[in-house]
Amino acid sequence: MSPETLQKKFLRGLTEQFPDILGKLQEHVPGQLIAVLPREELPKVTKYAVNQLGARFVITVATDQRDKTGDFGISYILAFDEEKQFLVLHSNLPADDPRIESVTPEVPAANWAEREAYDMVGIVPEGHPDPRRLVLPDDFPAGIHPLRKEYQYNTRFPSEPQNAPPRMPPPEGSTVVPIGPFYPTLEEPAYFRLFLDGERVVGSDYRGFYNHRAVEKLGDSELNYNQVPFVAQQICGICGQVHSCAYVEAVERACEIEVPMRAKYIRTILLELERIHSHLLWVGLAGHIIAFDTVLMQLWRIREPVMWLMERVTGNRKHYSSNLVGGVRFDITPEAADDIRRVLAKVEEEFKAVVDAVLIDTSLMARLKDVGILTEENARALGAVGPTARGSNVAIDCRVDHPYAAYDQLDVQKQVQDGCDCWARTLVRLYEVFESIRLVRKALDQMPGGPIMAKIDGPLPADRIALCSVEAARGESHHYVRTGEDNRPYRWRLRAPTYPNLQAVGCMIQGVNLADVPICIGSYDPCFSCTERVETLDVNTNEIRVYTREELQELSRRKTLG
Amino acid sequence: MFKAKLKEAVICFGAGRVTLKYPFEPSPVPPKFRGKIEFDARKCIACGGCANVCPPRCIVIEDMGEVAKITFNLDRCIQCARCYEVCPEKAIWPTDEFETATPDKSDLKSEMIVWMSTCQRCGRCFETDNAIDKFESKRWRGRGPGEANKHGIFPIKPPIDFSMPGSLVREPEEGQGQ
Ligand code: SF4
Ligand code: SF4
Repeated sequence: MSPETLQKKFLRGLTEQFPDILGKLQEHVPGQLIAVLPREELPKVTKYAVNQLGARFVITVATDQRDKTGDFGISYILAFDEEKQFLVLHSNLPADDPRIESVTPEVPAANWAEREAYDMVGIVPEGHPDPRRLVLPDDFPAGIHPLRKEYQYNTRFPSEPQNAPPRMPPPEGSTVVPIGPFYPTLEEPAYFRLFLDGERVVGSDYRGFYNHRAVEKLGDSELNYNQVPFVAQQICGICGQVHSCAYVEAVERACEIEVPMRAKYIRTILLELERIHSHLLWVGLAGHIIAFDTVLMQLWRIREPVMWLMERVTGNRKHYSSNLVGGVRFDITPEAADDIRRVLAKVEEEFKAVVDAVLIDTSLMARLKDVGILTEENARALGAVGPTARGSNVAIDCRVDHPYAAYDQLDVQKQVQDGCDCWARTLVRLYEVFESIRLVRKALDQMPGGPIMAKIDGPLPADRIALCSVEAARGESHHYVRTGEDNRPYRWRLRAPTYPNLQAVGCMIQGVNLADVPICIGSYDPCFSCTERVETLDVNTNEIRVYTREELQELSRRKTLG
Repeated sequence: MFKAKLKEAVICFGAGRVTLKYPFEPSPVPPKFRGKIEFDARKCIACGGCANVCPPRCIVIEDMGEVAKITFNLDRCIQCARCYEVCPEKAIWPTDEFETATPDKSDLKSEMIVWMSTCQRCGRCFETDNAIDKFESKRWRGRGPGEANKHGIFPIKPPIDFSMPGSLVREPEEGQGQ
């Protein structure tokens, strides 16, 4: 462990309570501590770190490591954002009895993560308050955990419709209004059941993961190190660069690959340009959701030149395909740099005019202010990230807290608001656009010359673990990589920003009017497809049934498989 | 309120007409654009480099003895141009074409059958600067039964076997508990 880490406050707190832990901590990557603990101790340490030391719960990583050590592994990843530190608590669980005490009763942010660990690998979270099926399709056979190594990525399982998870019963006297399973707010699948008392939301239930694409399975069984970034960038139609960057950076950290500085700057510039067009898109969409379509039209008009710019600079308006392990594939030439500056100058001017108008537009405020309250306390407890957290006065931003690419040289200013409502989240994004424009300019000015790709001579070492968090427009995208022997990761785990933010929605829409639900859901910039990663289909609308579920399933499978 | 609306009106009127005439007039693409993949069977040496790196397995190479059959399922292509990057003969490249919509996926499928040969310049089969792209991955893309050919390429099953029965649970290998 490095001397700086030893000085850190959280470590003192941790070792006071658990003196043994000091001998178990390893630090292979700076800022990332790993401790292998007995399974009785892991939940205790997690709860203490989150509730007493202010750690943020990030995600769990369940690994089927039976081919190596004969057991299962479970890691709980925690972040101490102020101290720029990740802590991975790992436990090995016997193959015939993979149980661990659930931390969800005391750490609500772990709710989905523990359920997913059960669905995908079969790690039983004992004492979980809501152990319903989360990720797997309704008709998936019971007792099969597809991320275990005995199943191939294209294994087809029989349909067992009786396994559908029970729905949450609505509170006494309330009406159920379904939103979804398609088009809840955006053109994506997710199914909210709202429990209403008159116009007021008194509760909600969520079922999603209709579009899971099994990329983690592909990543650890089929693709090689340099194919994964391209699959990672397809996870999201907006933050493709974010996912591929987080993945390659995790591999580079694990394998100690020295990435040339110029490559890091190029990644940074593309990431910030991506944030700019994503925020412009979001502000437009927010206008659209509350039926103020002028905002949509104008913001998307202003955004389009950024997309064309990306096409000129990278060869594609989305999916830049720029990252490989060790660097980037193409340079930003001086002409391209001038092009970027020119486009940004225009965008800045036009966006400023819009912001000037929007900030005094009382009709917008009437729809956004004091709507969808997510208190600071709840935002922290549920592990919210990105503008959703920063709009609730939680000052976390991975660009500052866990720097990656060239952000440690750019002096990023966090944009934080304390309104805790949809308006505050809007303000955060509006100001972040200007900050991003400043960062791109600064990065272009500071970018050093030199190569853009590291030389990789031999096979990458196996069994190293590294994490990387990248701040996407919607929040922290977290990637975990454990390297493997076959020129591919042994385990690749990713957590998109919508995953924790979606869990905060129930809290956000509690007590709001039905008409405000879409903007509340929209206000954290949901991206359901990033959250969802195995191909499934479920059409369980209670009411109108033109097709039976089996017919529809068959139909759509035929369609997708061509 | 009124002031805000006035400002918004100015923005809207200031924008002018932004809708493009496309598709009634062509929409040119920038020089770096990565469009539909084109290939030249006369240049290809069937080294398999493109199939090795293609992330969505849009390129599948099958060893048929003296010749190799290369299948392009361009409906899967993600326009990354990795194939172009690694191809030693530049026998495959991205074009400007982006209008690939079709009611029939098979329009986007093509095959070429090429003689296998070594590179005339270096005498080797396939060389790349990046070590990761060189390594052979075990269990790489559904390797079928059979021996590798002299280039280390295994006979390959079609990318996804959709004809599989409803349930196909592989027996756990020895030493792997259920
Ligand atoms: S462009 Fe990419 S996806 Fe398309 S064929 Fe080439 S390597 Fe495959
Ligand atoms: S990389 Fe080029 S030469 Fe090799 S098989 Fe592909 S197209 Fe042919």
